[in-house]
Parts: sequence; structure tokens; C-alpha cells
Amino acid sequence: MRIENIKSYPRITFYVDGPLVSYFFLLLQQGVTVRSRTGISVASLLREEIGADPMMIEKIQSIILEGKPVDDLESAVIKDGSVLALSAAMPGLVGATLRRGGMYSSFRCAITYHETGGEHVQGEGRVQIKLFNLLMAELGPGLLQKGVILRSEDFIRFAAEQSTNFWKGFSRITIDGEPLSPGELPDSAWLSGKGEVILTVLTDRARA
Amino acid sequence: MDKILRIDVGAEDGPKATTMQVGEYAGLGGRALTSAIISKEVPPLCHPLGGDNKLVIAPGLLSGSASAMSGRISVGGKSPLTGGIKEANSGGQPSQVLARLGYNAIVLEGKPKNNDLYKIFINKDGVKISADNSLKMLPNYDLVAKMKSEFGDKISCISIGPAGEMKMASATVAFTDMEQRPTRHAGRGGLGAVMGAKNIKVIVLDDTGMTMRAPKDPEKFKDANKRFVDGLKSHAVTGQGLPAYGTNVLTNILNEVGGYPTYNFKQGRFDGASKISGETEAETEIKRGALPTHGCHRGCVIQCSGTYNDKDGHFLTKQPEYETVWAHGGNCGISDLDKIAMMDFLDDNYGIDTIETGATIAVAMEAGLAEFGDADAAIRMIHDIGKGTHLGRILGGGAAATGKAYGVERVPVVKGQAMPAYDPRAVQGIGVTYATSPMGADHTAGYAVAQNVLKVGGDVNALKPEGQVELSRNLQIATAAIDSTGMCLFIAFAVLDQPETFQAFLDLLNAFYGMELTGDGVTELGKKVLSMERDFNARAGFTSQHDRLPSYFKTEKFAPHNVTFGVKDEDLDKVFNW
Repeated sequence: MRIENIKSYPRITFYVDGPLVSYFFLLLQQGVTVRSRTGISVASLLREEIGADPMMIEKIQSIILEGKPVDDLESAVIKDGSVLALSAAMPGLVGATLRRGGMYSSFRCAITYHETGGEHVQGEGRVQIKLFNLLMAELGPGLLQKGVILRSEDFIRFAAEQSTNFWKGFSRITIDGEPLSPGELPDSAWLSGKGEVILTVLTDRARA
Repeated sequence: MDKILRIDVGAEDGPKATTMQVGEYAGLGGRALTSAIISKEVPPLCHPLGGDNKLVIAPGLLSGSASAMSGRISVGGKSPLTGGIKEANSGGQPSQVLARLGYNAIVLEGKPKNNDLYKIFINKDGVKISADNSLKMLPNYDLVAKMKSEFGDKISCISIGPAGEMKMASATVAFTDMEQRPTRHAGRGGLGAVMGAKNIKVIVLDDTGMTMRAPKDPEKFKDANKRFVDGLKSHAVTGQGLPAYGTNVLTNILNEVGGYPTYNFKQGRFDGASKISGETEAETEIKRGALPTHGCHRGCVIQCSGTYNDKDGHFLTKQPEYETVWAHGGNCGISDLDKIAMMDFLDDNYGIDTIETGATIAVAMEAGLAEFGDADAAIRMIHDIGKGTHLGRILGGGAAATGKAYGVERVPVVKGQAMPAYDPRAVQGIGVTYATSPMGADHTAGYAVAQNVLKVGGDVNALKPEGQVELSRNLQIATAAIDSTGMCLFIAFAVLDQPETFQAFLDLLNAFYGMELTGDGVTELGKKVLSMERDFNARAGFTSQHDRLPSYFKTEKFAPHNVTFGVKDEDLDKVFNW
């Protein structure tokens, strides 16, 4: 398929050797969008949509939903348009304060997340996920392998900031399955017109 | 380590050194020692820059030993910024070196007879003090280079930059790191101005020929140190998060919860946060061949420091810490990491506190001296401070002075000291500590989280509103105790979560000194330190009205959560009821 014929969001796929996936991690701190079930608990999303096992969930010490620290993963509900940020244990008193269910959670009681009434119907929607610090490497490759939605302008900025080494590091780049070389990346105006792109990063391990 | 070096800068023929036994101050180190000497020997109503004030520099109880993390050094005096007692501490090499030379403390006292500037050289053979007016107005990096050429490359330096000589209330005392760069600072409270008022530019230390301090029980000490190090390395924060990203790892999460003060504490989120986060900073450092993981002194196993190179791969400054990146970054609306790093270098070079300076520039921006986000204007303001222009003299006086000079209402200070990088409306518990600490607004005053181990004041119900007051009290007690040991406060994370690591910490002290310190003993030490400090401040004229946040924190809603500071004054007054 020629790119000018692509009607929906273009799916751009990078095929990389293992460690190079880290080039994409800084995108994750700004937030990427995924399609997900909604009306489910944060705990369910972590387990079933992100694929975090109990040990990984234990590592996720701070969970921020709609900008508010979450203490109870089972009662906090994901909705269409939710923003969920995940962090490993943070330093300092405030780091300890933001830990879920921690001794110092009262210090931030003014901003703690509380689920407010109503029945939450399960469905499907878009959820923005932000991964911070050590979790970028822990959860990032899996998320990128599934594919994430980015605003076109964020992808354009990301691509423009990368060095030659970045572009040399990929065995293949495709757009909706069609191979591209870096020089053939669609121009910015065309990408901007699409509004969003679906970014997928497949590592050696993921392809094996 | 059993002696105190007192230097009378007002002696007839120039500064005179006297070494005396530690005497009544035996058993104290770090903050406990600086606050004990200041509380007992300095008239609380004296002028901070006058002859009655003293500057005390004290290593910790375990400094100079093989104990991990024992390289903090405390500096104390009456603060030119707050008018109260002050202890500011720092990493770097001098703590270990001074302790190995056998000194519990250096005390600078008296009033200089003339305007000569002095350097002090201390080694195994004694103390040599000489006038050297060629050092006048030298920035810290140039000064240390000059000292290396004169005394060799085995030295460590304690120094002031031009800001200290100009007796600015934001001036720091600088300490060299392992690479002999003046990157570590006792930053808060303007104690560099007190050193400047004593006409002492630099203290050069050389411990060649000295040996590591030996513990009373070497076997128990070795075992405790191993357990202590294992505990630090196995903990997620001290073993992984801090080494990988440094303290700036906090930017993203504080911003996400809307607790990241931005545009001079106007709002809790900054659009440019991800450009200056710890994750971005570490990635930038790696790409440029710098080190995101690095210790600030020998014996550090956490390695949260780092180095920052410019675009050409040359060293620019040490890895700017969270507070610095926030103060010069988000709080001023600036998202250019290279320019923030440049400001960090300039702060270190001129010898000014990064938190106070960043907060001051934000107040100046609010006053209209520059636009928020104008990094070049911010850099020019720092040069103004370093050069002592008329504007620089005002800015160097700190956020409160600048707010007064330019008629700004929104000035985020307590007891005259600028607040650090956590908004007390979003994280109200830390506001309790900002308000009530004897030090002025200070994020480290209630930093050492050891509640579940120490049980200070019994079990606290943290879910009750009054629990915030109780927790702040306990945190301040624990912090005062750890500051007295010379241990880096970052050990607190492992101590919080791992009681066996706290026990290893106690065992280290006990094995070294042959004593039987318990958790209760640590609590008593912390209370004793705080009581001395509170007593000094009371005699200096401080009342409960000084234990308050600026009133706008109670009335201005803080976006995105639109919260105000809600802890009642009568509850703040209960913090030190024990």
C-alpha cells in the first residue's frame, strides 16, 4: 500500500535489536495512548491490559490516576480518556508520601484519588499511560510491542531529535507493512494531517 | 577525632589557631555539634555578620571511618538569611579528611582587625594561616585550581566564592568532591556570608600520612557495615532509582500529581517537565559521555550524584539535582536543560544557594524584571549576583529581600528562607515541616523517614488530620538525629522499609564507639538537637507567629487540584509538644 492511500492512522513499526528499544523510552514519560477496556479497576488494567504480574505490580509503588495518587487499586476505575501514570519507589519524604497506601499518605490527603459513586459500565476506550523511571525499561518494551498511539506532532518531534546512530540501529522500518528507509519517512505535513500515528517497536525477542 | 580547632580571626597579629580537647561536646557530631556550640556560645541577638557569631564546621560521628555513607559535613551559625540558628550540610571529601586529621570541628570566631583575606592549610603537621589577597573575588573553581597548584593534588577544600566575600544572604560554603571540584555546598541560610565576614576564603585540608579512623570493635563494625551496605543496595530507591536517575527522578511524578511549583508557586504543573526530568537528564548525560551514576564522596554506595557535559562532551557541572532543576527550571518556566546546567555551574562558582537563587529569580520574574521562561535573562541575573552589581546585591539577598525591594506579594518563604520544590498545598504534611522547622522552609528538615522503626511518640494514626502534625514532629526528630551522625540522609529510605538496615546503622555506631545506642537513644538525640535549636530561636526573638506559611498559601487555590493549605495554626503550634 502506498502511503498516500492510507486513510486511517498510519501504523509505523520499527524492528530493532534489543537494547535500542530504550531510544523510545522518553516518549513513555510524556504519555502514550492505548486502546483498553474501560470501566475496570486499575488493578485489572495493570494485570490484563498491561500484563504486569504480581511482582511487577509490587514494584509499581506510585500510581497516579487523573493526577491523583491512588491507594486502592481495586476500587479506582479506568474510564475512557483516563490518564494513568506509573512510577517505581521514589526518594525523599515526598517520594514516600506518594507511595500507595504508605505511612505518609496522609501528607497528601488533599489530592488523594477517591472513586466517586455511580455504576461503571465496562466498554472500550482510550487511556493515556505514562511510565516513569525504572518502569520505562520494565513495562515499556511490552507496551511498545503492542503498539501505542501518539500525536503525529509528538512523533515528528521525536524523529527529528534522533541522531544518525538512532536511524542506523534498525533492521527495518515499515509503515502499514510497507518497508521504508529513513529517507523515505513520510513528510511532516502528511503525518500531521493524520493527527495521530500508531507506533510499534518490535525487538528481536518479540519477533522470535 | 578528639579535638576542636578554634580560629580567632580577631587576634592582634591576624587569625590565631588554638587546638583544644573536645571537652563538654564529646559524643556529638555533625548537626548536634554545630547546634550545641552555636546554642551555647553565640548570643542569639547578635548580628549574623558580627564578631559574636561563629561558624562551626563539623564532620559526622562516623566520618573518616570505613563506614559507608558517612561523608556528610555540617556547617552551623546564626543565619544571615533567617536570623535564627542554622545547620546546612553537604557531601564532598572534606568531612572524611577533616575527621582523619583528628578534628571534631573547626570554629571560626571573632571579628577581623582588617580587610585581609586569609587561607588556612591543615595537615598532619598542624595549621598554617596566611593572608592572601590575590584570592579576593575568585570564583570557587578558579580558587580550587589555585590551591591545587600551591598545595598539590591530594587536597580537599572548604571555600567561599565572591558571594560569600560580599556577605550575601544566599552565599554558600563549598566543599570539593572526589575530583576536587567545588560542586558540593552547604547551601541554605547564607552561611557562606558568615565565613566571608570572618575574612576566611578557603580552608585547605590534606590528610596525607593520616590513617582511617579505627572502630573500638573492628569485627562488629565490619559486620554491621556489610549489613548496612547490603540493605542500601537491595532497596529499590537506594539501590536502583537514585543511582540510575539521581534526585531529579522526582520531577515527573511531582508534576503529575500537581505538586510541582511552577511560575513562582502559581500552579502545580509545568508543560516542559518531561524536558527537564531525571529520565531526560540521565539520557542526555549518557549520550554526551557523562556519568549519571557517581558518588559525591568516597565511601558512597548510593551514587546519586553524576556529571553533566555540554553539547561538545566537555564537563559543565555536576548532575543538577532535583531542587536545582526545579528552582532554575519549572519555577522560572524554563525547560532548557543545558541552560539550567549552566546556572548550576554558575551558582557553584559564585557560591550561591541554588534553591534560594532560583526562587529569587522567579520572584524577580514576577516583579517584571524578566519574562518567565527567559533562561538567558536568568543567567544574566546570576552573573549580576556574582559580580555584585546593584541588582545583584538585591538578588543575592534572597527571595524575601527581592520581594520587598520590588513589592511582590507572592514570596514563598518561611523565616526568610525560600521554599524548596514541593508545594505545601498539594502535599500539606511537608507544609507543616516548612512552617515549623527551626531552619526555615526546608525540605530536608523532616526528611528522615523512620517512623515505623523508631516509633517516636508512639504509634501515629496517619489517617487523622492531626497525624500530619505528629508525623512532621517525628520526621524532624529522626532527621536531626541522622544529621548528627554525618550519614547521608538518603539512607533513610532503606531504614524506613528495612528494620534490619536500621539495626545495622545502630550497630555501626555502637561498634565504632563501644556504646549501646538504641532506637530510643536516637530519638532522644534528635529531640535534644531540636530543643537546642528552638531555644536559640526563642532567645533570638522567634515566636509561634514565625511558624507559619505566607498567608497566600491559605487563600490562593493551587491548580490543578485547586487546594489551599488547610492545617490550622493551633495544630502547627503542637508540633514540638513532647
